[in-house]
Amino acid sequence: MATTAATSSVQEGSTLSAFLALIWISWKRQARARQMVWIALGLLVFSLVAVYLQTARDRWGMHHWRWPRGRDPKALTYLEAVNRLPLVLAVVQPNAPGQAVQHAVFGATRTILSPEARVSLPSTTDQPRYGDRLACSAFQVFSQAVVFSIFLTFLLPLWSLSFGTEALGGDRENQSLLWLLSRPIPRPLIYLAKFLALLPWCIGFNLGGFALICLMAGTPGRLALQLYWPAVALATLTFAALFLLIGAYFRRPAVIAIVYSFCLEVVLGNMPGYPKRVSVGFYARSLMYERAEDFGIQPDRPSVFLPVDGQTASLVLIGAALLLVGLGMWMFSRTQYHEVE
Amino acid sequence: MPELLDSADPGRRDRHLGQMQNPSEMPKAEGEVPHAELPLSRERKDQPLLLCQRVSKWYGPVLGVNQVTLELRSGITGLVGANGAGKSTLMRLITGHLRPDLGQVSIFGIDAWSAQAKRLVGYCPDVDAFYEEMSGWQFVEAMARLCGYSRTESRRRTEAVLHRVGMANRSDRRIRGYSKGMRQRIKLAQALLHDPALLVLDEPLSGIDPVGRAELVALFLELAEQGKCLLVSSHELEELEKLTDHVAIMARGRIAAVDTVARIRDRLADHPLTVRIDLRKNGGPLANGQSYRHHRDLAAQLLAEVPEVCGVEIVDSPHPLVGRLLVRARQAERFFVELNRLVLDECYEVIHLETLDSSTQAVLGYLLRK
Amino acid sequence: MSESVEPIQHGSLLHYRPWQGQLEDDSRWGVFLFVGVQTVLFTVMATISDLHWLRLACILLFVALWGLVVRSRAWPITRVALLMVFRRKLFWVIYTLAVLVFLLFFFGQYLMSWALTQFGETEVRVGGMGRANPKFLVDLFRDQLKMNGSAEMFRNFFWYEGYTVMVILALAGSILVGNDIRFGSLAFYLSKPISRWDYLIGKGLAVAVFVNLITTIPAVLLFVQFGMLEDWNYFLEQSRLLVGILGYGLILTVTLSLVLLATAVWVRKTVPLIMTWTTLFLFCRLLSEALVNNLQFDPRWRLLDLWNSTMYLGHLCLGIQETQIRPWPQPAWEETALVLGGVCCLCLSYLILRIRGVEIVT
Repeated sequence: MATTAATSSVQEGSTLSAFLALIWISWKRQARARQMVWIALGLLVFSLVAVYLQTARDRWGMHHWRWPRGRDPKALTYLEAVNRLPLVLAVVQPNAPGQAVQHAVFGATRTILSPEARVSLPSTTDQPRYGDRLACSAFQVFSQAVVFSIFLTFLLPLWSLSFGTEALGGDRENQSLLWLLSRPIPRPLIYLAKFLALLPWCIGFNLGGFALICLMAGTPGRLALQLYWPAVALATLTFAALFLLIGAYFRRPAVIAIVYSFCLEVVLGNMPGYPKRVSVGFYARSLMYERAEDFGIQPDRPSVFLPVDGQTASLVLIGAALLLVGLGMWMFSRTQYHEVE
Repeated sequence: MPELLDSADPGRRDRHLGQMQNPSEMPKAEGEVPHAELPLSRERKDQPLLLCQRVSKWYGPVLGVNQVTLELRSGITGLVGANGAGKSTLMRLITGHLRPDLGQVSIFGIDAWSAQAKRLVGYCPDVDAFYEEMSGWQFVEAMARLCGYSRTESRRRTEAVLHRVGMANRSDRRIRGYSKGMRQRIKLAQALLHDPALLVLDEPLSGIDPVGRAELVALFLELAEQGKCLLVSSHELEELEKLTDHVAIMARGRIAAVDTVARIRDRLADHPLTVRIDLRKNGGPLANGQSYRHHRDLAAQLLAEVPEVCGVEIVDSPHPLVGRLLVRARQAERFFVELNRLVLDECYEVIHLETLDSSTQAVLGYLLRK
Repeated sequence: MSESVEPIQHGSLLHYRPWQGQLEDDSRWGVFLFVGVQTVLFTVMATISDLHWLRLACILLFVALWGLVVRSRAWPITRVALLMVFRRKLFWVIYTLAVLVFLLFFFGQYLMSWALTQFGETEVRVGGMGRANPKFLVDLFRDQLKMNGSAEMFRNFFWYEGYTVMVILALAGSILVGNDIRFGSLAFYLSKPISRWDYLIGKGLAVAVFVNLITTIPAVLLFVQFGMLEDWNYFLEQSRLLVGILGYGLILTVTLSLVLLATAVWVRKTVPLIMTWTTLFLFCRLLSEALVNNLQFDPRWRLLDLWNSTMYLGHLCLGIQETQIRPWPQPAWEETALVLGGVCCLCLSYLILRIRGVEIVT
């Protein structure tokens, strides 16, 4: 090497360049196909197939529901029966109160079941024209069966923790955190860089996966995507910050994160009163319930669930994410990692 | 690679930074890392490069490092100690991976825990963990980028250090396929990237073949000549003695001694010296009609007539015709005079005489027993 | 273990001492024999209707036969595996939960029985609705809380303890089996005079003992406690319930042991193992509930949910009425049993194939 030339062009490393380089390297390293990512991908594919099968068979709405289950007529059959009711009653010639009851029953049934009864959509939104209440039931069924039940309870935390715990936890586990801690980058910046590198993967996988599932479900899915994506994005942000913190602090981050997601979140989320307000899922649900209120989406027992309004939920989720990242930076700057040696 | 230098410890010649040559003025070998001018103010130049002041570190109830005070300026210093003596903990404290519970570790007066201090320290750890999915080149370049260099500068430095550690033409393979020696060289390469003033090398020669060792030893000597300060830990004491005779010996978390092996040995004069004496059992007749005497007689005479002898052990010899004694004696000079007299006067045929504890290993043994 | 073993004459089952397993395949035959005898005993005690004493004798024999496992050659492996599981501090938090559940039922039963003895024949006024005997009210309260030694009480107990077991097994799977394959300890085991079957049986037994320690044994203790608090006739009259408890425990044991061993051998590491278990027992549960409850699919979709199948069959063992089973509707029990049996067979086949594939390098 031409030493004179080399010496003359020697430059000091800059912290900003190192920080940006760390984000880039960490982002690339997150892409390594690990067993957890494969399982997450497998679950996505499995969910997509399940949703696709429902869509292909047009099973989302309540039009095929029977009551009592499995044996008796569908909802539309009831409507036909109600439509024939005036003809029957004309023969009976009921008195005035009887006629009033007849009209009330007939009107209510038509309101609920008739394809002509349009759903009053909020004027501020520009959702696709959505059909009758029965068709709207598809959105409710999709929300309950897929969004709240499977996605929010299971897939979102699982996908977030697959990436979140790996960001620092993986480096700790295979002892390669040592290389980062040997570089002249302030420790809080290492933590922040890891978080920033993690975010595209977490948000990409969660929001992308959610979008795929929704789009696979057709019309109700598209509406769900339009209404729920902010909640999904914010919940992902908070989960990512939380799981990164768990990865930085605990020796077995994935185990702790799984126990948190599927034990603590579920237990807290189902508790009456206010304890549930420390769970991330509660705020995501509150935000979703508010956004989809006009479509009849609400908690099973609102008086027990006690949702907060959407603005509060958003603020809490963002605030929690910022707080967790700040806390993580502070803790990371003080923690000595014995296992990296 | 440069030739192996004759001097065991060239760095010792100018141990003070004040006397250090300007690295940029020194002739460089091809492929050498360009030196960054250390931002040394006048007062910094007077400061020791590494200063550990009464440093203690606990692992729960276990005391890893106990009141260690150590000051290094330049040259190579060996860090020797048994397993669990606290060497690695001390290195982690120096490289800012651990924080002392008591005391302070500073590099040119900067707290070793801080990011600025890490610009001055290169660390070659004992841990065998890498970004396994990367090639050697990619890994070293990534480390250069993490030092904050631009892409061009990173590439230039990567190329230079890989050349320097002898990995230039083998660095395009993935690290997971590397041998232990190659991995060791990559670790060394990343430590040299930012041209640090202090190099902390934890077992840098382990797993490297003899030819590779000679090359790396030469590299360390060359770095020391350039005024760098190297702290090298090793269990390979023979290798370490080739590298430097200046050692810090650690025992039970304390620095038991810091000096040259010979001086440490001198300070231990009161400690018994162990000497191995091999004698021929059935020596032939002498001109005066006498025959050589048996080794057991010598053992008896040593015990009876030489007051410096503390004990004699008759041990099995690998050869049936050779008798072997292990003699422990104080006051080495007087003991050897007496031994000489006995051998000549009493007709013993000595075929081998060896002092067993002049090596670093023996000194270490003494200190650890202390 | 007995070292002075005699040569075995093949073809004569009478000469086998299955719990000592002298040859490579002895353990396998031993297990077949053991399972066969246990199945016969279980069938007898489940089908006897009036002969309570005979049923109790069968139960005792059934339980006593389990004692033989301590003498099997696989027992040291079991013991070591159990020690590994009980040594982990993290698990003690979950064990504490399991103990708390047991104590809740134990003292719940005791409290209710004690309360019943505290009232005389006097009546108390109940709001404005008239007068009632307090004993009747406490009895009512006890029935509502299901602290009455009934099948529903044991259903609740198994429900809570089953979850605890599932969580611990998810965390402990890699310690029990995965690490042996991942770090090469399996070859170490097999280089000893231990056959592959011994290894498999040993690990399976460890899971079985663990599951029973947390579910069946405490349930039997609760049964005994209630009988002693109430009336000795309870043991005879409710001996069918005791069979149900053993049956429930057996279903949990067999299913969880085989599924755990198979998944742990497959994925080995702790985290993927937990994810696999979460998928099997939580995701599949959510999915099947969504399909059957929300999308009004056929109840057979519940067969996706292994945990539901295990619990459903367990409830039937306890003799719970169909109307009391939650969630409802469920598929036919024969279909559930078939699917569960199929899963167990699949796991066993995979295990045999996988264990055969391990080579001992000396």
